[in-house]
Amino acid sequence: MSRFQRYVLTKAAWFLVAFIVALILNFYLPRMIPGNPVDTLVSQMAQGGADVQAMQQVYNTYIKEFGLDKPAISQFGTYLQHLVHGNLGTSFALYPTSVNSLIANALPWSIALQLPAILIGWLLGNLLGAIAAYRGGWFDWGGFVGSLFLSSMPYYCLAILLLYGLAVKFQVFPPGSGYSSNRAPNWSWGFFADALQHYWLPFLSLVIIFVGGQAIGMRSMAIYELGSDYVGYSKGLGISDNRIVRYIFRNAMLPQVTGLALSIGSLVGGALITEIVFSYPGIGSLLFDSIRQNDYPVIQGITLLIMVAVLVANFLVDIAYGFIDPRIRTAQTGG
Amino acid sequence: MSAVLPQSREQATGLSFGEALRARFRSLSALPSGRFFFSVILFLAILVFAILGPTIFNQHDPLQIVGGLYDTPSSKFWLGTDNFGHSVFTQLMFGTRTSLIIGFVAGLIATGIGVVIGTAAGFNGGFVEEALMGITNVVITIPSIVVLILLSIAISTRSIYSLALVIGVTSWPWTARAVRAQASSLRTREHVDIARLAGANTASLIVWEILPYMLSYIFMAFVLQLTSGILAEAALSMLGLGPSNSVSLGIMLHWALLWESVRTGAWWAFVPPTLFLTIIAFALLLLQSSLDEVFNPRLRRS
Amino acid sequence: MEVRDLRAYYETKAGPPVKAVDGVSFTLDEGEVLGIVGESGCGKSTLASVLSLGASPTLRIKGGSLVLNGEEVDLEKMGGVPREWRGKIVSLLPQRAMNSLNPTSRIGDFAYDVMKAHDSRVNRREAIKRASQRLEQLGLPARVLQSYPHQLSGGMRQRVVTVISTLLNPTVLIADEPTSALDVSSQKALVHLLQRLLEERVITRIVFITHDLTLLSNIATRIAVMYAGEIVEIGTTEQIITRPEHPYTRALIHSTLEPEQGVRKRKIEGLTGSPPDLRNPPSGCRFHPRCPHAMEICTRETPPRVGTSRHYATCWWVKQRVEAMNEGDLRDTVERAAHTA
Repeated sequence: MSRFQRYVLTKAAWFLVAFIVALILNFYLPRMIPGNPVDTLVSQMAQGGADVQAMQQVYNTYIKEFGLDKPAISQFGTYLQHLVHGNLGTSFALYPTSVNSLIANALPWSIALQLPAILIGWLLGNLLGAIAAYRGGWFDWGGFVGSLFLSSMPYYCLAILLLYGLAVKFQVFPPGSGYSSNRAPNWSWGFFADALQHYWLPFLSLVIIFVGGQAIGMRSMAIYELGSDYVGYSKGLGISDNRIVRYIFRNAMLPQVTGLALSIGSLVGGALITEIVFSYPGIGSLLFDSIRQNDYPVIQGITLLIMVAVLVANFLVDIAYGFIDPRIRTAQTGG
Repeated sequence: MSAVLPQSREQATGLSFGEALRARFRSLSALPSGRFFFSVILFLAILVFAILGPTIFNQHDPLQIVGGLYDTPSSKFWLGTDNFGHSVFTQLMFGTRTSLIIGFVAGLIATGIGVVIGTAAGFNGGFVEEALMGITNVVITIPSIVVLILLSIAISTRSIYSLALVIGVTSWPWTARAVRAQASSLRTREHVDIARLAGANTASLIVWEILPYMLSYIFMAFVLQLTSGILAEAALSMLGLGPSNSVSLGIMLHWALLWESVRTGAWWAFVPPTLFLTIIAFALLLLQSSLDEVFNPRLRRS
Repeated sequence: MEVRDLRAYYETKAGPPVKAVDGVSFTLDEGEVLGIVGESGCGKSTLASVLSLGASPTLRIKGGSLVLNGEEVDLEKMGGVPREWRGKIVSLLPQRAMNSLNPTSRIGDFAYDVMKAHDSRVNRREAIKRASQRLEQLGLPARVLQSYPHQLSGGMRQRVVTVISTLLNPTVLIADEPTSALDVSSQKALVHLLQRLLEERVITRIVFITHDLTLLSNIATRIAVMYAGEIVEIGTTEQIITRPEHPYTRALIHSTLEPEQGVRKRKIEGLTGSPPDLRNPPSGCRFHPRCPHAMEICTRETPPRVGTSRHYATCWWVKQRVEAMNEGDLRDTVERAAHTA
């Protein structure tokens, strides 16, 4: 087995363990809520004046869905069984809407917001960081303090300030939401153009902060590389500065790939709240509403989705890292 | 987290605890810039505002209703009122206090767990190290915001301290990782060998020969944990999972968003907590990075 | 090749600069290996980096020039050796070969980059071919060109670095403590490789910087002894080893070349104290605080060069002895003349 295959298998094994832990957490933590969540729900409905028959029907649905009449371990079995069939359950608040359909409506918005933000932010941040490290001087100092300020700013803080500044005070962009209220989502150019207008502010607020964090990481990696022995030796052989910068950039980039994996989790978390700030119709806003309505099946579905997404993203980045770092990719020969 | 883990810099020999500390902090005299002082002063100013503010301005109840919905700032209420008619200025003092308390407690818990696990892994090596670091790496890959959400909806009463506990127990892996790297590089140092030959047991080796040399890194890790604790509280509170019956910077933002202060232009309700969160995080990260340059000279520019 | 009055100072944030190289001159003829020895902190590595790299943000060249192949380069004005010369005319054999190769380049690609830096017309295939011919010529496996640095052993990496440093047949190779991180057998292999390169006339001159006099006596044809940023004595290897003049050279030879008298002794025999602070070097002769023969004049005035340009020592004590000897010679001659008369 090659070194690379071994690397991939080890990584896969670790992610499998992490996935199982995530499943267990996702199943057991909400069950620590004192009392039976279904009872709470039904008593809320009773206060709302629902009729007895409807309440009984709702009650039976959830008892069956969660297997609440059975022991915890078989409840976990039921839960896994549902998951295998891709069934995340039924919403409490919007009974009888399935969690699947709620998430399916929100997910495309979140992906469209976060994926480009991650990719563009990462590239731009690394470029700026490398330039700052290499150029030094005022560009470096200003860039460093600026990036530090930006990257220490929570995503949602910039989002709030941008929303107020560019949508309320100066009405350059529409004030939040994913599309104008007089439109319904459909696949037309008109809707797309409208959605794009609403897209810029949340997108910018994510990208700007992400760029700052990546630039800082890249800068310190590149400064570290600048002091390496191979830089001095390459200079001593007359290799041009451009070529040496390319060596430095490539070598400093490697840890930054791992850095990308690590920052995906925090970006997703930050993006959740950014969506709330802009009332963007994605997963974050759905989570916000379900927390306020104690809609446990939806909360649980979303947390599972996020965990899986972050785990998969991390795994992919790790594999990509193994692929681009020759120290992992190539077999070891000699000592 | 600091990108560069320091190499063994001084060939330290059997120094006593005090000497080791002094050796460590002698390098502090080589502070590279005003950034260190700037960040310390900034953070102290916020600390003083949160601790002494209520006494200075004679405001003791942030939940007292003093006005109407979003009253504009006036000479009496410098930052106006929020959606409930509370004074934003008073809320800001108490909110900052709550956020800092949660940050400190969560930071202490996370740093404590991280140092114990990291030292145990790094100092023992072998199977213990593999197992502990395996656990750490698994926990690191699971996004902590999700675990935080799940834990917060699970606990019955969300007090300031239970929230701090929840944040602390989910954020230790970073510290454990950094401390392990330190501890395992220290393990092979000469002074540790000398002490071991002199018959010191594991506990005293760790207390006298390992921990003193890691103090600066532990402190830097604590600063990071403090920052992330404050921000985690804010994130949870904005989602509606903040401590009940109290005010924090995140809770202020939560209500400001829920009551549409941004779209109605009531800037005094959301700008102060936003700025405070940013300034606190900025000051602490600046402090951390300037300390990092002191302890890792390779990061320093000529 | 000639180095004239080279001065290089490290700037410090506060206070005077560190005068790491202060007025160093020497000549190096074809076929010669000039060894430069001294304790650590005497400025020998600074000399190497000035000759091969040039200035850095902290290291300033304050004067001096380099004459090579009939061209003179003002090192102060140029800020060091021009890029076009580096690797092609003046090449560097670095201190830590282990880390001197870019970890993410294959050896062959790095060799190509080196050739390309001096001849933009060279293509990759040609470069690899030339590099593998050179490796084979020196009895090394050409397949290392396909490898990444981490795939090679330490000794192999050192040899590969040596080959790359000399790929373009540089006029002079600056070897900066190339053996310091090697085990004894790798040290021997490296010295052997350098001798082979000289025999094959790939390179014609080496400046070999080390603190290991024993090693130097095997490869150097001439030796310069540095102390506190200055050359205190220079001569052929034989002259330096068997008839050292300067008290510092004597102490150095005495302690390092006679292993039976306590091999592990770090301190130089007969010398107390440590090399001076180069921010404020001692007045007069920089060695006088540690010199067993120090006289009053040594504390005041810079010592003169005694001898020829190819073999001299800068020392008042040596001057006095030579004068005494010359007087003695004179007396002999006079007496002999009187006798005959």
